[in-house]
Amino acid sequence: MQIFPPAADTAVRFAVLVLVIAMVGLPLGAWEYLQSTYETQVGWVQDQPVPFSHAHHVGDDGIDCRYCHTSVETSARANLPPTHVCMTCHSQIWTGAPVLEPVRLSMATGEPIRWRRVAQLPDYVYFNHSIHIDRGVACRECHGDVTDMPLMRRAKPFTMQFCLDCHRDPAPALGPRELVTHPQGLGWTEAQKRAHGERVMRKLGIKPDELDNCGVCHR
Amino acid sequence: MSEGALNDALVAVRSAKGRRYWRSLDELVDRADFRHRLKEEFPALARAASGLNRRDLLKCLGGTIALAGLDGCERAPDEEALPYVVQPEGEVPGEARHYASALELDGVAQPIVGETRAARPIKLEGNAAHPSCSGGSTPFMQAALLELYDPDRSGAPLYMGRPTEWARVDRELAQLRMRLDTTGGEGFRLLTGPVGSPTLLGQIEALVGRWPQARWHSWSPVTDRRAEAIESWLGMPAKRVIHLADAEAVVALDDDLLGAGPEQLWHANGWGERRRAYQAGEGAALLLVAEPSPTITGVTAGDRLPVAEARIGALLSGVAARLEITRSFPLNAEEEAWADRAAEKLRNHAGRSLVSVGAHHAPELHKLAFAINEKLGNLGKTERFLQPADALRPEPLQALVEEMRAGEVATLFVLGGNPVYATAGCTGFAEAFARVPLRFHAGLHADETGSRSHWHLPLAHHLECWSDGRGMEGTVAVTQPLVRPWLAVRSRHRLLADLMEDRRSDRELVRATWSDQHDDTAWEQALLVGHIPKTAPAPVASTPTTSTSFALSASEPERGLRLAVRPDPSVWDGSFASNPWLQELPKPLTKLTWGNAVHVSPALAAERGLANGDLVRVRAGIRSITGPIWVLPGQEADTVLVHLGYGRELGRVSQGVGFNAYPLLGEKGEVFLDVLGGREELATTQHHFEMEEDEYVRFVETAAKALPPEPPKANFYPPLKSEPAWGMAIDLDLCIGCNACITGCVAENNIPMVGKEEVAKGREMHWLRVDRYYEGSPENPTHAFQPVPCMHCEDAPCEMGCPVNAAVHSPDGLNLQVYNRCIGTRTCSSYCPYKVRRFNWFDYTGEDAPEMKAVRNPEVTVRSRGVMEKCTYCIQRISKARIEAKKENRPIRDGEVQTACQSACPTQAIVFGDQSDLDTAVSRRKASGRDYDLLPEANTRPRTTYQARIRKGETSE
Repeated sequence: MQIFPPAADTAVRFAVLVLVIAMVGLPLGAWEYLQSTYETQVGWVQDQPVPFSHAHHVGDDGIDCRYCHTSVETSARANLPPTHVCMTCHSQIWTGAPVLEPVRLSMATGEPIRWRRVAQLPDYVYFNHSIHIDRGVACRECHGDVTDMPLMRRAKPFTMQFCLDCHRDPAPALGPRELVTHPQGLGWTEAQKRAHGERVMRKLGIKPDELDNCGVCHR
Repeated sequence: MSEGALNDALVAVRSAKGRRYWRSLDELVDRADFRHRLKEEFPALARAASGLNRRDLLKCLGGTIALAGLDGCERAPDEEALPYVVQPEGEVPGEARHYASALELDGVAQPIVGETRAARPIKLEGNAAHPSCSGGSTPFMQAALLELYDPDRSGAPLYMGRPTEWARVDRELAQLRMRLDTTGGEGFRLLTGPVGSPTLLGQIEALVGRWPQARWHSWSPVTDRRAEAIESWLGMPAKRVIHLADAEAVVALDDDLLGAGPEQLWHANGWGERRRAYQAGEGAALLLVAEPSPTITGVTAGDRLPVAEARIGALLSGVAARLEITRSFPLNAEEEAWADRAAEKLRNHAGRSLVSVGAHHAPELHKLAFAINEKLGNLGKTERFLQPADALRPEPLQALVEEMRAGEVATLFVLGGNPVYATAGCTGFAEAFARVPLRFHAGLHADETGSRSHWHLPLAHHLECWSDGRGMEGTVAVTQPLVRPWLAVRSRHRLLADLMEDRRSDRELVRATWSDQHDDTAWEQALLVGHIPKTAPAPVASTPTTSTSFALSASEPERGLRLAVRPDPSVWDGSFASNPWLQELPKPLTKLTWGNAVHVSPALAAERGLANGDLVRVRAGIRSITGPIWVLPGQEADTVLVHLGYGRELGRVSQGVGFNAYPLLGEKGEVFLDVLGGREELATTQHHFEMEEDEYVRFVETAAKALPPEPPKANFYPPLKSEPAWGMAIDLDLCIGCNACITGCVAENNIPMVGKEEVAKGREMHWLRVDRYYEGSPENPTHAFQPVPCMHCEDAPCEMGCPVNAAVHSPDGLNLQVYNRCIGTRTCSSYCPYKVRRFNWFDYTGEDAPEMKAVRNPEVTVRSRGVMEKCTYCIQRISKARIEAKKENRPIRDGEVQTACQSACPTQAIVFGDQSDLDTAVSRRKASGRDYDLLPEANTRPRTTYQARIRKGETSE
């Protein structure tokens, strides 16, 4: 007596097919997911208490990054500007603008503005801004061209691969030290960038084979 | 352990050729059992696995895999960033700021430099700019940081045990003030611990001046009779300071100079300096100790005699007789020989020697010791008497107890300390205290005294208030706050000022104490360096009252057991009982954590059939205590030692840990041990992380000698060459086993505490352990301490074992552990011959109170469950130095990177640096003939090496 009807064959074939698709598809799907901008947050903006526009402040007004991000050359952290810094200008201009209400409120109450972080690394990664700036790695290399960002968004995927690409081949990212905060750079070709970067590497003794060591970022 | 087994073992030890090192009596007696334990990589697993069948195990395994997989798929949660509203001047986010300040322990200022990040203190170091500190610290100084963040600290005043507001306290104080003004202070008593702060003394003086009937009493849980001896000998009160840095021969009679306590840093600094000078060929560094129970001073000494406490007087008279000062009491042959040696060394180094007697001994003994020092010309050199800086003197506790009993005390104000708990049983303080109609208690915790007072007033921690104090050699240290108090607390100065309606701020009060000597510039300089220069008191001018006869009582031959009660090396008099960093700190000699024990000698244990953990009752007079036995090699046969500070009634951390030994404090008569039959498990780290048998610690005879050269070892791998090449040198001759390095490491590297049960399973997380080895007979073995951090082997076995490449090597020679790669197979740990890797069995940190999160060093990753971790050579400090050096385009300077253990070490036993450069401190250490590798047969090329201990303290023998 037949236990399995002929349709069972189809079911088994179907199951095997599903299994094969799953075995290939799931890892592929997972990989795609990890690369997706949903996971890396590239190009996504965060809702901010104040719709601060880098495009306006940097692009239109020409304010240097270091005016607000004061400790970027000396400390591991670039620093978000204290409310007081916003008010250096905005106590004079746009004093009644409704969008600046949270800033004025913060100054009046002493409660900090609660920004939502755009550039963020895991807690076990120790990134130091000052040494990157010192070597001539421009702000735009990681944060993109902020003159193009009415609301701040993540320009690059802050994945380990992104960090390692540069640490293994730093030459193209090493620009002139005095132009690190230039939002667009000099418009050099890739070859010009690389040639300059290699000169910097020779001068400062930068060894890429030591830069991809785990202990450089993890401790 | 039976008597027979022990005797067999002793015979075996004595007949053995070559050196034999052992860690405990169990190991000495039963080698087979010990070997079996060694085979188990994780003894902790044996217990965990029981009661689990195959099906449950598979279920757990499946669940674990599923959950562990999901765990990694989370996207990092969105974070908020909160910048300052107005950034404080000089503050750079992400950078540490350092402030010179001072802590206080039993009235002695402990100068510190505190590191703060975003206004949170996260690390304390000794302040080498202060004249009474040449760097380094002590476990108490390091752990004071956790005391600040203790979630159990009281944060609001209590009235009759219920929280209330300061406004109500102020009203009560105003009423009290009015009452005192009308009565002239009648019935008002102030009780403090030892007071070292000149500002506080000034306030007390003002208080007694305003209310003449009021009295100030001071007390210390730890007996100190030296002050009375000084007064009787000099005819005036004075402060005694000894300078071990200048003392080539030190004879310490039951005096734990290097042991834990307020004087530890000063003495350890001095001893380290002297010993390093001896190693460099400048004079001797001799230490001779006679003591009833081993202390870290005794085991550091080159010549140690175990002797009953009651024999100390006779022994001192023997030394004095040999120096023709007084007649000697009869001594036995051993004592005679020791006294001969002590007297000879003292005489040979006259003017640069020192005799010191433990502070708890009778004044007559101290006076005799002073007389010996005077005769030898040591006075004003190694032993100095300084003029008391203050005229006002407190009255003793006993007088207060009698007044309280007689009902003469209407109001008692306890300022700091916990006298209800920490007074001897014979004082009767607690009973008398309950009869006082109005009781105030000001302290960090609502402790035994606080809960029995009408008013409990929370005190500010030393790290959050203004104060001042005197360092060991008398120079004033200024305490400035490292953080603004976040609890509703007030400083001691504030409380007294409030009582007297003094409206000046704490800062103004402290400033006013020194206003006559210092203008604003000098004051700011004093705050910068942490001390006010030229404030050390002048030496005493008066000559001692010379008397040729010393009324030493002739000590009769002692029979029966005698008790020695000492403050605990980890929790001191109980003031640190709620500090987990100190509770979990293995005690230097017994390696016990989380509790105390009744320490007996091996001979007594063999005679009574006692083993570690057996519960006994110790009876003395009408009082008794119950505790577990601990057999302590090197203890005098008839001495029973107990430590104070445990058996607390209150406190989440301290409650129910150990037994309270205070009832027995002050008992002089015979004590009796009753075996109760039960057992209590003690959490000792003695056998944890044992290495395979080898000559772990090595000795040379004198500083001029070198170890026999090691034959070169074959190795397939080429030596690792890099610049810099980080390496560490640990001089076992300088290590006194004080544990400062462990607490320093805990504070720097966010090391979690795991609690008594987990420690008993061998799961403590300390990255650095200090092994203690015995050599020779259990009656009086030679001890050696050996701090063991990660060896950072050039050919590291752990790196071969890791299946996911989480253990890797850096180009500058660090053996790295990458936490985010680690999957917790623990293979690396089983491959590690030094057993320095620690595994997070649980998530020890996730549930921490917010205060406990605030204490963490933001430069170091907080590890999660299932991750292996170990010493990193403080990679965060290396990274910082490397980045700074790169920015300035220069190599890293020698000494620029100090590991946490190195900067915590008071004797400079640990040196760290670049060993590829031959002109660094670490290379010079490693070039010494005493340098050796731990477990050389493992051929791992360790970057941490040791310098052999030196047996003798002088080269001329």
